[in-house]
Amino acid sequence: METHLPEALRATPEGREMERVLRACVHCGFCNAACPTYQLLGDETDGPRGRIYLMKAALEAGRAGPATRRHLDRCLGCLACEATCPSGVRYGRLLELARPRIETLAPTPAPQRLLRWLVRRAFARRGRAAAALAAGRLLRPLLPPALRRTLPPRPGPVPPWPGPRHRRRVLLPAGCVQSAAAPAIDTATARLLDGLGLSAVRPEGDGGCCGALSHHLGATGEARALARRNVRAWLPYVEAGAPLVLTASGCAAHVRAYGELLADDPALADGARQVAAAVRDPVELLEPHAARLRPAAGAPRRIACHEPCTQRHALGLAGRLEALLARVGFETVPVPEPHLCCGSAGAWSLLHPRLAGRLRARKLERLTAGTPEAIATANIGCLLHLAAAAPVPVRHWLELVSAG
Amino acid sequence: MPGSGPRCPQSAHSKARTVDYVVNQKAPSTDARACLAALRKALPDDALLTEAEALRAYECDALSAYRALPLAVALPHDRAQVRAVLRIAREHAVPVVARGAGTGLSGGALPHPQGIVLSLARLDRILEIDPRNRTARVEPGVRNLAISEAARPYGLHYAPDPSSQIACTIGGNIAENAGGVHCLKHGLTVHNVLRIEAITLSGETLVAGGAGLDGPGYDLAALLTGSEGLLAVVVEATVRLLPLPESARVLLAAFATVEAAADAVAAIIAEGIVPAGLEMMDNPAIRAAEDFVHAGYPVEAAAILLCELDGAVAEVEAELARVRAVLERHGATEVRVARDEAERQRFWKGRKAAFPAVGRISPDYYCMDGTIPRREVGRVLARIAGLAREHGLRVVNVFHAGDGNLHPLILYDANAPGELERTEALGRRILELCVEVGGTVTGEHGVGVEKLDPMCRQFDEATLRQFHALREAFDPERLLNPGKAVPTLARCAEYNAMHVRAGRLPFPELERF
Amino acid sequence: MGADADHAEALAARVAEAAARGEALRIEGSGSKAFYGHPVKGVPLDATVHRGVVAYEPSELYVTARAGTPLADLEALLAAHGQRLGCEPPRFGGRGTVGGMVAAGLSGPRRPWGGAVRDLVLGVRCVNGRGETLRFGGQVIKNVAGFDAARLMAGSLGTLALLLEVTLRVGPAPAAMRTLVLACTADEALERLAAWGRLPLPLTGACHLEGRLHLRLEGNEAAVDAAAARLGGTALDDAEAFWTGMRDHTLPFFAADDPRPLWRLSVPPAAPQPALPGDWLLDWGGAQRWLRSEVPAGTVRAAAEALGGHATRFRGGGEASVFHPLPPAARALHRRIKAAFDPAGILNPGRLYGPEGP
Repeated sequence: METHLPEALRATPEGREMERVLRACVHCGFCNAACPTYQLLGDETDGPRGRIYLMKAALEAGRAGPATRRHLDRCLGCLACEATCPSGVRYGRLLELARPRIETLAPTPAPQRLLRWLVRRAFARRGRAAAALAAGRLLRPLLPPALRRTLPPRPGPVPPWPGPRHRRRVLLPAGCVQSAAAPAIDTATARLLDGLGLSAVRPEGDGGCCGALSHHLGATGEARALARRNVRAWLPYVEAGAPLVLTASGCAAHVRAYGELLADDPALADGARQVAAAVRDPVELLEPHAARLRPAAGAPRRIACHEPCTQRHALGLAGRLEALLARVGFETVPVPEPHLCCGSAGAWSLLHPRLAGRLRARKLERLTAGTPEAIATANIGCLLHLAAAAPVPVRHWLELVSAG
Repeated sequence: MPGSGPRCPQSAHSKARTVDYVVNQKAPSTDARACLAALRKALPDDALLTEAEALRAYECDALSAYRALPLAVALPHDRAQVRAVLRIAREHAVPVVARGAGTGLSGGALPHPQGIVLSLARLDRILEIDPRNRTARVEPGVRNLAISEAARPYGLHYAPDPSSQIACTIGGNIAENAGGVHCLKHGLTVHNVLRIEAITLSGETLVAGGAGLDGPGYDLAALLTGSEGLLAVVVEATVRLLPLPESARVLLAAFATVEAAADAVAAIIAEGIVPAGLEMMDNPAIRAAEDFVHAGYPVEAAAILLCELDGAVAEVEAELARVRAVLERHGATEVRVARDEAERQRFWKGRKAAFPAVGRISPDYYCMDGTIPRREVGRVLARIAGLAREHGLRVVNVFHAGDGNLHPLILYDANAPGELERTEALGRRILELCVEVGGTVTGEHGVGVEKLDPMCRQFDEATLRQFHALREAFDPERLLNPGKAVPTLARCAEYNAMHVRAGRLPFPELERF
Repeated sequence: MGADADHAEALAARVAEAAARGEALRIEGSGSKAFYGHPVKGVPLDATVHRGVVAYEPSELYVTARAGTPLADLEALLAAHGQRLGCEPPRFGGRGTVGGMVAAGLSGPRRPWGGAVRDLVLGVRCVNGRGETLRFGGQVIKNVAGFDAARLMAGSLGTLALLLEVTLRVGPAPAAMRTLVLACTADEALERLAAWGRLPLPLTGACHLEGRLHLRLEGNEAAVDAAAARLGGTALDDAEAFWTGMRDHTLPFFAADDPRPLWRLSVPPAAPQPALPGDWLLDWGGAQRWLRSEVPAGTVRAAAEALGGHATRFRGGGEASVFHPLPPAARALHRRIKAAFDPAGILNPGRLYGPEGP
């Protein structure tokens, strides 16, 4: 498209990168077909093509109003648009670069800023997430219904982490929300890997959170600080050859972008790139071992597979989890519209509860169309969000599989 | 040039033309405020946009070179709200431009600066799939591909498949009489729509066609299809579903010259075979598409043909052999058959994404849509290449070779001053060439605003007058998408007069204003 | 017998003259469909003098013929090149012209699979009610320039314009043809057709009469064999005679001496059979149903409407409306469309809907 960014902006590398993205867009509109908010709301400004146009207008004019900010905030960040775009428009990157500038032009009002700050404070650290969930359970009757439903129950007892008996190591950081809400997932993963001759190791001294939440809520400083701590803590393992496995695809997707996040940090840029390159989604790690995997004892056999957006689009693994589960011996029911986000999208569901509910309802209808016994997914955010309203159990796939 | 007003960034002359065709013959309504007030009362809050910031995203469709901010955008949720918008617009003499997914390439959804954009995107329900009668009854905002997806479990599909089918809506398809890859064998939109319910500006619901294969009286379904939003606003359509073919196989053939590929196309049809799809792409298009889809296109070929055959297994196998023989006879350097369904889908995905994929090799492109007799394809492509050189621009070709529907994509840089004008000039020459060889200025994208001038070359005054009279039978006030699709006689007189100054005088026997 | 001749100018002049005088014209072809629609009071205008094939390019899949060209001549020419008109137009009394075919818009048994007359119209040259010679459409299948006035001509019964020339899409004639007959009731036939309709079978004809379902298969030899094996039934020997009889209404069902009116119901193919007394012939796989019955017009029309369709009193039955009545707004629109083409109202006035027009 014709684009005329102000000279001052074009003089910066970020400005030039934004211009490249804008010029790549030919305004064809294919992306709207894949966008969950456009499908729900039917308004051009709630789809990627319109959002790109809004960003272009704001950057060109040096002016933006609350409407622009609202429509950009409504973006789930699922990147289904990028996967669909034939012109190779890096929408996610444009959004990332444009957001802080638009924030300056049309600042988030105080109440919303407060809410985002609270979300970060509550969840973006391992210990804090646990405390927040515990507090939530205590205050359950006082919570609004939407939050009450999403609140996960207190986790049950967790079997022990297997000892580090194998030479081949896999790095399995604990993260924040998942370790508090569903610690059994990582333990099951560790036991599974143990059965395959791999020892999962919990690294010491990392940030306790990959930083995705902070990054997507616009707290770039905090996100970079967390990334730095993580890179410092994980790099030794990565340099020793351990793959970096994150069982929440949202985290895996974010850590894969550490290279770009810390590109201008002279001390850590290289390390960040190495760490990013070492990320393996569990699907990638386990595909070569598929022949040795089978459904775990007592696991439901007829399942609907919900591949998270981060896994499908950001990590580029669309279809792989479902194929792997089928190979392992599950009966995977067909799921229409697999590219459409469930509405969790990190903190998005907390900031846009009504839309999140509508997306969830639509997703659950598609997932249950084939009458599965359970829904299997690969991201804690999706899991908690779907479980709040699903008529069947929602499980992390790593808890459903064992090595034989 | 930052700013928030309507932008038509062209030379002074063509800028005047761009604005000129959207101005209604009557004086524009001074009652804009009253109109907006009435709309606000009639529509829910989320169904009316009036702030410039929100309107900007609607200032163009996929032909982003032409832009104009509307007075307002209405996003009705149901038919009653559509009717209310039309009623209020008529009361206040405000033009209405209907819009589906905004994927059109001829500016058919370009707003009128004093008018309302009426988006049908929210009327997006599939009302009924009837596998026994093989029909789907849908609202206008339903995406083309969504119909086939919904019909698939019954072994059926909706055949017309414009390349933008993942995003474009059936309402838009009807407005443009959309074609697509498979229309040669399975028909255009007009051949696959059985019944249309549309609301005219006077608020009446028109039923065209019937639940069976025809309707009483004049064939209004045929008339509405391809009427580019000038006659009525579609609020429901019943479309024909066809059985999924037992077998569908696609051949990919590479050629060392474009002419050889074009000759092969004519030969296949002359052989008495009607392929389900027969498409051509030239080298730059092949490379751009391959970059996106990784289908294994031969990136060294001057041109490739994708030929699909569908039908009974035995029939397809027999035709496959015949087509292969024709391709080899015409010098195909390589002939490949897609090994499985996945590869067949990949071959087509590259072709269908080819236009926007060209966005990888050029900041902007301008897509032409002329259709010519098949036998002229080779010759016309050569002449287009010559014209492109004359104008100093690159042209890439991706098109429906099987029905002679060319899509020369003129590559340009919208940021470079003067390039859009040169591009438009080249585009006009190409369309005039199409008319010269016995073809038409638009095969499937519609006239919109883009091809108004070449329409003056394709039709004489009397015919244009007849079109206007027909339009006024539906919309005497000319408020539905005014200025689009059929040029005014004044415009044609002026345009043709320009040709006189350049030494050419078409239709010398006709009177001029 | 006539010779090929170009009378375009004379015909246009005649229409212009009639328009100036306000003199109604009754356009006449070969008279094979003179019974169809309402009688026209007007001075006869013989359109058959303007005849002959103007352009035919088999490899471009189109033929352009002057309106007075006999269908028999045109189809013989196409057959000689291994091609045909997909719509299988009727030749009542063995007659029929190209112009009449388009103006009446009647298609034969192959319509659901081969296309209707209007599906095959690519372009027309015609004279409107002002005497102006106009060109709509062209010779290429993909053409959306201007409104689709060419296809609008199909079925307009000469009330919008006098056709001079029509360009039609043609296609290859199939290598093999087979007709199967199965004994079953009309309801059973509709059930089976609903199921078979979803299968990719090379069907090009499906009609039921007198307890027998006739299925025509066309395509390459192997495809036809495979389909025949799947469908069963017994092969019909003189199949061509049967389908020609269907097409031209020479089967006993259509006998002229039957005093009962002949109704044509256009309904969804799988719609249940209306409970109307009389004799039925189901054609077009169920989408076109012929009824010979004395039942009042209102009853037939209501039955068709209940199924979402419409009913035409094809032959016989007196003064009542031939074509299915239109709601007032639609009727008014029809008159305005007619007036847009023929402001003086001289072209076949009342042929469609009687004295109230169009």
